[in-house]
Amino acid sequence: MKRFWDVAILAVAAGFFAFTVLAFRGSQSLVHAAASSMNAAAQATAAPVASAGDKAGAASYAKRCAICHGDQREGILPAFPPLIGIKRQMTDVQLTDLIHKGKGRMPGFPALPNDEITALLNYLATTPSITPTIAGGPQGNRRGPQLTGEAAAGGALFLQNCAFCHGRDAMGGETGPDLTQSKLVLTDTDGSKIAQVVREGRNEPDKKMPAFQFSGQELNSLVAFIRAREVAAAAMKGGRRGVEVADLQTGNVDAGKKYFNGAGGCAKCHSPTGDLAGIARRFEGLQLEERMLYPRGAKSKVAVTLSSGETVSGTLAYLDEFTVGLKDANGTYKSWSVDNVKYKVDSPVEAHVEQFPKYTDDDVHNLMAYLQTLR
Amino acid sequence: MMLLQYTRALTAGVVLALAAGPHALVSQNLEPAQILHPAADTWPNYHGDYSGQRHSHLTQINSQNVDGLGLAWAFQTNQPAQIKSSPLLVDGILYFTVPDNIWAVDARSGHMLWHYNHPTTEGQHIGHRGLAMYKGWLYFTTPDAHLVCLNAKDGTRRWDKVIADVKVGYWSTMAPLVVRDHVITGVGGDSDNIMGILVSFDPDTGAVQWQWNATPPAGTPNSTTGGTTWMTGTYDPELNLVYWGTGNPTPVLNGGPRPGDDPWTCSIIALNPETGKLVWGFVASPHDTHDWDAVETPVLVDADFHGRPRKMLMQSSRNGYFFVLDRTTGKSLLTTPFGPTNWAKGIDKDGRPIPNPDKDPKPDGRLIAPDEGGMTNYRSPSFDPKTGLFIVDAHPSWSIYFTKPADGDYGWAGADYGLWGKGVLEAIDYQTGKIRWSHELGPGGAGAGVLTTDSGLTFTGDAHGNVLALDTTDGKTLWHAGTGEPIQTSPITYELDGRQYVLTGSGSVMFAWALPQNFHGDETTNTNTH
Repeated sequence: MKRFWDVAILAVAAGFFAFTVLAFRGSQSLVHAAASSMNAAAQATAAPVASAGDKAGAASYAKRCAICHGDQREGILPAFPPLIGIKRQMTDVQLTDLIHKGKGRMPGFPALPNDEITALLNYLATTPSITPTIAGGPQGNRRGPQLTGEAAAGGALFLQNCAFCHGRDAMGGETGPDLTQSKLVLTDTDGSKIAQVVREGRNEPDKKMPAFQFSGQELNSLVAFIRAREVAAAAMKGGRRGVEVADLQTGNVDAGKKYFNGAGGCAKCHSPTGDLAGIARRFEGLQLEERMLYPRGAKSKVAVTLSSGETVSGTLAYLDEFTVGLKDANGTYKSWSVDNVKYKVDSPVEAHVEQFPKYTDDDVHNLMAYLQTLR
Repeated sequence: MMLLQYTRALTAGVVLALAAGPHALVSQNLEPAQILHPAADTWPNYHGDYSGQRHSHLTQINSQNVDGLGLAWAFQTNQPAQIKSSPLLVDGILYFTVPDNIWAVDARSGHMLWHYNHPTTEGQHIGHRGLAMYKGWLYFTTPDAHLVCLNAKDGTRRWDKVIADVKVGYWSTMAPLVVRDHVITGVGGDSDNIMGILVSFDPDTGAVQWQWNATPPAGTPNSTTGGTTWMTGTYDPELNLVYWGTGNPTPVLNGGPRPGDDPWTCSIIALNPETGKLVWGFVASPHDTHDWDAVETPVLVDADFHGRPRKMLMQSSRNGYFFVLDRTTGKSLLTTPFGPTNWAKGIDKDGRPIPNPDKDPKPDGRLIAPDEGGMTNYRSPSFDPKTGLFIVDAHPSWSIYFTKPADGDYGWAGADYGLWGKGVLEAIDYQTGKIRWSHELGPGGAGAGVLTTDSGLTFTGDAHGNVLALDTTDGKTLWHAGTGEPIQTSPITYELDGRQYVLTGSGSVMFAWALPQNFHGDETTNTNTH
């Protein structure tokens, strides 16, 4: 083990902090206990429960493979690949072939008895207990507790598939929200809502999350990882990102009311006692501000005049430069080639787009202060 | 330490073994000199040539016959990942990618020759832009920031080198640039405070020839990190300069810990390809606090500027400004916004936007145009020499940006939210920056790259998934076809057996468009090169 720790210490010393897979310093029996009690989410097939045969496999691994691939199959990158989850990538036949013949810098083991190969393949199918540390920076303000078991397996999946948008620590990134503060995550008691969003994606106008094909076990591990991040984030001193309701209280109510009725032109379409009555009870904080600036998903009306002179009206459902489609009052979808009809779109929400270049930041904050009084 | 020595000894052994390995193959062969003057039946690097103009001299498909364009073939990758790459075409074979995957496909029929599929377990799998080629070898970057060299004949691996350490936050999605015997390779990685690097590899041995660092090492006081290099640069053989765009500084939204202009982040830089030494740099977004990478294609144009012949570099930058530089010196010729921007107080004497500190992200938010995705992003613009139009997929957009002390000074260090955006194809007059025509592409934004041809056609896509052929002089639509998914690639074109093809990828499908096989016209004898 010492050898691995030397590498780990060197890596830390060099500032290589991010996703070091730390080996569990337990005995074989500890590893086996962990493997059998945890969800085998990192495997394409269910991980076999440890058996006496695995001991032979583990012994063979320790003797022949560990020198390069690490005591816990964690690999020694960049020179030697990890073998954790290798069975997701290669079949037993391919692995056997590789072990016999070798590849690149890996020597072949042509004389390895079949029994030993079988034991080794069984061992490679087990899941070690790995504990990745996620995205702690040198400044350490995002360091969380180490993860084990299911959450660790989920962490590996998360890094590959989710981290670009949601951040390596699930606390938000390039385009995706902070999942540790997500209402959906916080109110999803059994993980089913998270699983649904991951499986089905979100295709609303303002939420463009792709759908992912994960197994049930993989989804469970992702949920476990997100839960672990939620706990870690809640325990963090400061360091929270995202926008809280308290952040959006810098405006002046009277100035906002004046803007609403005057320069902002809001009163042309909206009324504090009509459509906006109680708006601050329905929305708050960032959600209210985003809706205030541009209410996504607002519907437009369209009237299509056919060549016969008949006019069909409804909610605009599709429009590109070739086709116009609507849903009529019965919910029936109809479309026409734009070459064959005349159409007129009524899209009051466009007034919000025209307003963007006219706002000062004070206008935004003042308007927000005023809207928050409409309870 | 013993282990490290052991590793080094082994690696040395591998290098020696490789030196004695197979020789370059005679077919599927691309000499670097061929990239200088690409033949009509090739598309030998990401941009199609070294200029980055994404303009073809092919004329078989023209404004008179384009309405007869139809599907020649479609190739299904059967992968959930969207195709974001530009194919290479060499000796009748196309090579294109998604993360961890390469396909070699017959350019005439669309049938697969081989598929490289090597899943990696680390690094961002956000997208992949394509490959580079040198002689009979392909060069492929991986999500865990390796550079893999493969045999173009069958996709077998020759060697695999580390570009940068995935564990500290690097990844790679880009198509390397081959200049003579240099494979110039960049990285992504702005979730962490790490420096952007550009690394040149020996095409045969994979040995590192040089490394250029965009910023000082992490931890340097009052200094920025960042400046990733995730899009393919361009090259001027006369000046022997490689041009590259660099990404945003880190921490991303909190500029406090990195005062000043933060060179060379959000910059256009010129390097000597032999040494990797910086010849000049131009900061497109001084002290960026909005994630506006300046990695968009540095397009090289030789033409008159205000009556005088110039060697120019043009970039439509993510920050909303169109830049024309003298690419010999890096001096500004023109800086002008090409859509709504509200974050700069003006333009300084060197042609750089002057950031307004009040438009840095704040605890109570700032309304900013454009949004974080920017006025344009990685998909290529095109320069049409005949009309002098620089045509770009623009994204007018608005957003709100936040940062507060509790967000810290590492990685993202804040939050931002897009409010609204749309797609507009804009044809910019490079001498004035005036928008000669624009063509609405739909709500949200389109995202397709642009290709122009000598026959006066502009190919791109809209927000709904239509592939469009427009008249380059006025932007009017001449032909379209629905592809089922917005196009995330930049189109390419080539001519094989006297038939011109246009390739667009959308979703997981690569589409090849051509005139009907029985099409007979004067153009079929065209043998122009592009």
